[in-house]
Amino acid sequence: MLASPLSPDEAHRLRILIDLNILDTAPDERFDRITRMAARLFGVPIALVSLVDADRQWFKSRVGVTLEETPREHSFCAHAILRDGIMVVEDACEDERFADNPFVTEMGGRFYAGYPLAAPDGSRIGTVCVLDKVPRTLDDEQRALLRDLASMVSNEVAAHELRHAQERRRKNESWIRMLLDHIPEGVLMLDEAGTVLSSNPAAEHMFGADLGGLVGRDAAALFGEDAALLLDPQASASAPPQEGGGRRIDGSAFPVEMHVAPMCLDGRRHYAAIVRDVTRQHEDAQRSRATEERRRKHFTTATHELRTPMASILGFSELLLKRDFDAATSRELVDIIHRQASRLVDLINQMLDLARIEAGGTEGLAIGPVGVADLLEQTLAGLNGLGQNHRIRLELEPGLPALAADPQKMQQALTNIISNSIKYSGEDTSVDVSAAALQRNAKLMIAIRVADHGIGMTPEQQARIFDAFYRAGASPNVQGTGLGMTIFKEIIELHGGHADIESRPGAGTAVTVWLPAAPDHG
Amino acid sequence: MDKKILIVEDQDDLRLLVRLSLKSLGRIVLASSAAEGLEKVRAEQPDLVTLDVWLGKGDSGLDVCRAIKSDPATAHIKVLLLSACGQQSDVEAGLEAGADSYMIKPFSPQSLGEAAAALLAA
Repeated sequence: MLASPLSPDEAHRLRILIDLNILDTAPDERFDRITRMAARLFGVPIALVSLVDADRQWFKSRVGVTLEETPREHSFCAHAILRDGIMVVEDACEDERFADNPFVTEMGGRFYAGYPLAAPDGSRIGTVCVLDKVPRTLDDEQRALLRDLASMVSNEVAAHELRHAQERRRKNESWIRMLLDHIPEGVLMLDEAGTVLSSNPAAEHMFGADLGGLVGRDAAALFGEDAALLLDPQASASAPPQEGGGRRIDGSAFPVEMHVAPMCLDGRRHYAAIVRDVTRQHEDAQRSRATEERRRKHFTTATHELRTPMASILGFSELLLKRDFDAATSRELVDIIHRQASRLVDLINQMLDLARIEAGGTEGLAIGPVGVADLLEQTLAGLNGLGQNHRIRLELEPGLPALAADPQKMQQALTNIISNSIKYSGEDTSVDVSAAALQRNAKLMIAIRVADHGIGMTPEQQARIFDAFYRAGASPNVQGTGLGMTIFKEIIELHGGHADIESRPGAGTAVTVWLPAAPDHG
Repeated sequence: MDKKILIVEDQDDLRLLVRLSLKSLGRIVLASSAAEGLEKVRAEQPDLVTLDVWLGKGDSGLDVCRAIKSDPATAHIKVLLLSACGQQSDVEAGLEAGADSYMIKPFSPQSLGEAAAALLAA
């Protein structure tokens, strides 16, 4: 048995065959009716549509054979595809190529006639063939008939490929559609005049339009003057995005970032635009600018605050060194120096404290369960030095759950508000401190309230109470750094709490601190 | 000739410091707020005003300075700004408001005395 030689373009032929996506597909009546017709017209027991693969022949359609495929070395068709036109083997026993072929020796086959099948590009991918167990000859009419059958099969192969390509394209398109439907960027296709031809849901959402509601609208209506950026034949999609202004259907404006790709479609210029709503990025940038500005202002104020006591210390000490004063005046000046130096130390300590608390964040806190009564007792003990503790009236709800707090920091925060109440109220008035447990936003919170009957604050003063170095209503000579409330707020917020302030000029101020209860209270 | 110096400063300690620094140069008049300062500029017609820039309660010495320099009756009065704001932009803002001189806190009483004397002599 001689295996068939390979055609010179075998690799190309195989690729074409594989790309047809027909190998190992299900039986198909379009092919089966041709093989049935072939068997009947030629009066043979076997008719096949055989496709010659790399190492097998596979039968797309078969009459009189149960095997789906046979090895290529046993294939008559592998010989038939080597040239154009019909190949007829009238008696295989007489042909040295096939005499010992299993079809001959085991199945008693004698006759073969095959006509090559042409792929759309002309590659011979297989045959339509008829086989018999007796030797036969074919007249010209029969030869022409087999050729016609081969043309019919070739047409079916081409039709199969077309159907497959359409299916593939449909899948591709649905994939692209899916992508366009789900990407967060708005995609618009515009014609040369700037009219929207199509848009994806992200673009419709961005401009506040209904489904399909952007089609037919003008770029100028959606982008105002910036439409010119879109309709730029020189634009390049690989260029950095352009910033511009978008206009929603309702007329409201929003900042956009867009990429534009001019393209040619059906011989006309079109523009594809990819648009992002950058409102959030703009807001972020604005916020960080505001933070930067606040920081700069804070630095300026801090410098100012440090220089003021230094002016007294440096100035009076220079006067004392250079001039002669009587003992009483000297003592007065030294007293000022001492007082201002203490103030300077207070300022530095408080500034460092604030910086440490800010930098440490929640990680800088040693949170644990803290008893409210203990906390307030410690706080008042620390304030004893002011000599005003007799004014404080403490009222605690019995059985209060513990706080979840850093005891030291919380004591510092409470010290700041209680000392403010003491400072900004008359010596004959009380400072009322109370605590109660309350549900707030479905969480158990503890409210600590510090209320005085002092000078109170105007709404303007209240609005600035947490600003660093701001000292509401204080005369420049009242002790204080203006950082107490800033530190207080920072500590409370780090604990996940917040403070409410009620104040009226002349009536007094009440600060209520809301803090989370420790989770394991009981 | 006896000169008159008005010191506008909201902080007691610093008002005293400026007074001690300048008392050898002439008669001293004191004011502790922007309003009082302006009132005394008009009433006392001093030769020199030393003016704190941050006068508390949101009042600015720069506004007082501008008021002095824009009123023909007081425009000739020398103004020396004293401020704990020491940045170049602060100094420029002060000079733009019409100040004749700008001194940054902390300052040396002797330097302040010399600067004030120079302004009075000019």
